[in-house]
Amino acid sequence: MKEKIIKYSLAAVSLLIPAVFTIILFFVISESIPAVTQIGVGLFDLQGIWRPLSASPSYSILPMILGTLYVSFLAIILSAPIACLCAIFLNYYVRKRISKPILAFIDLLAGVPSVIFGFIGLMIIVSNFEKIFNMSAGESVFAAAILLAIMLLPYIVSSYSESIERAKDKYGSASLALGTSEEYATLKIIIPITKNSVVAAVTMAFGRAMSETMAVMMIIGNAPIFPTLFGRSQTIPALTALEFGSAEYGSLHLSAIYTANLVLLILLCFILTATSFLKRKLLKEYD
Amino acid sequence: MIKYKAFKIAVILCGICVIATATFIFGYVFFMGFHRIDINFITDRPRGIPLGTEGGVFPAIMGTVYLGALSGFIAGIVGSITAIFLVFYCRNKFLKGIIVFSTYFLAGMPSILFGIVGYTILIYMLGMPRSLLTAGITVSVMIVPFITIRIVKSFKEDILDMMNSSLCLGLPKWYIIKKFILPNYLINIMTSISLGMTYGAGAAAPIIFTGAVIFAETPGSITQPFMNLSYHLFILVNEGISFENAYGSALILMFLLLGINIFCRILEHLREGADWRFGKGKQ
Repeated sequence: MKEKIIKYSLAAVSLLIPAVFTIILFFVISESIPAVTQIGVGLFDLQGIWRPLSASPSYSILPMILGTLYVSFLAIILSAPIACLCAIFLNYYVRKRISKPILAFIDLLAGVPSVIFGFIGLMIIVSNFEKIFNMSAGESVFAAAILLAIMLLPYIVSSYSESIERAKDKYGSASLALGTSEEYATLKIIIPITKNSVVAAVTMAFGRAMSETMAVMMIIGNAPIFPTLFGRSQTIPALTALEFGSAEYGSLHLSAIYTANLVLLILLCFILTATSFLKRKLLKEYD
Repeated sequence: MIKYKAFKIAVILCGICVIATATFIFGYVFFMGFHRIDINFITDRPRGIPLGTEGGVFPAIMGTVYLGALSGFIAGIVGSITAIFLVFYCRNKFLKGIIVFSTYFLAGMPSILFGIVGYTILIYMLGMPRSLLTAGITVSVMIVPFITIRIVKSFKEDILDMMNSSLCLGLPKWYIIKKFILPNYLINIMTSISLGMTYGAGAAAPIIFTGAVIFAETPGSITQPFMNLSYHLFILVNEGISFENAYGSALILMFLLLGINIFCRILEHLREGADWRFGKGKQ
């Protein structure tokens, strides 16, 4: 009897997480209904612009969606190869006694709040952009992508390093016994085996990049226009953080912001499904 | 072979590059902030016009600590209960799937979304004042999935075997958890919660709308608005008030959060015996 009570009370508390999740999802969907029904395709108008406060308002969220995707892609392209090679470095070229603390040190980067990253990006990346590229304002998509790439490093390094370790446990001594060099072993054995885990780590990092708010907002320039490499742009979380406070409750403006977030959530859902699918596949491979 | 040589050089370069980047970021904040920090900066409130150009950040430090403690308390209870339920009690695959899916989805959501939903529900609809409480609830929603995932991962793989062996002895399940699992894993659970706390206390996005303000005294109760170091830093930088003080605040914030972070890792390390990394027990 007592066991039953405990079990059900634990279950009740555990259901809080799905409940909160449902509330947030329901909220975002219900708030974005007005924009979807009243603006419709205009939300994704290729020629459209984001001008919610003008006399003839237009609410195209497409620039922000593309901005988010662009910055995240760029960050992943910059970050993934370096992080993966670094994981190989830590597993193959450094002794284990040293590599563990180094990994923990790199992992510490993940604990730095994103505001500090934004601040550092503003002081270093943006000001150097102004000097090097002779720009009047260094805030740009590329600057944000470099910063995001640095922020993603610890996630990719630690998750890829874990799978290298597992692959090394399984095949490392066999390849050593055959007398192969470390480079041969990594290029011919470790990388082909772990390519699924690279994809998993990178998609997970991509999701993180898309939902990053503060750091990107501080250095991307926040202009709701189509992104170009050295131009300003805006991401969906940045749009939300900047304009939510000034949008009237119940207005189309707010509703359009919620719609942008809905699009982001749908993208994140795809990414989550993909990573969990990949992870399940990986688990099968190793068992 | 030239190909292998090139690969080796690339690998070593990338490794050094990543380590250098991490060192640079910590070093930069440390050296730029170090000469700004004195006893006055830590113990005084912000002064000057505009506010923040002079004086210190004491209310912000306290606000950060309070926010971390409150959200860690709420999220810690919910998170650890959910983790225990998921690992030991949940037999229903469908229910388990729902909880796991929503946990992972919540963990991946943009932090600002918690802020705006928290604002609309707690402050606009329920009429609560903008305060430590509303911000704490919002932040705890953000860190619950983080804590849950960490705790579930910190349970070693053989824990279910131990559970089954104890069940075979005829002990009730809750008794085993209370007397055996919880004491054994208390440190793992506490470090997971503390790491969640540092994550929550450093996040600025969810509290912009839900309770952080530009200036407030150290909150005396949870129904008062508060200052937060990360939000303070954001305002100092974004409004261009004082970069000098921004470096100082950044350093204090980093000390506070990374201090707890490193402490937890060392504790875990001493406990696990062999593994430096977090969330992955010795196997």
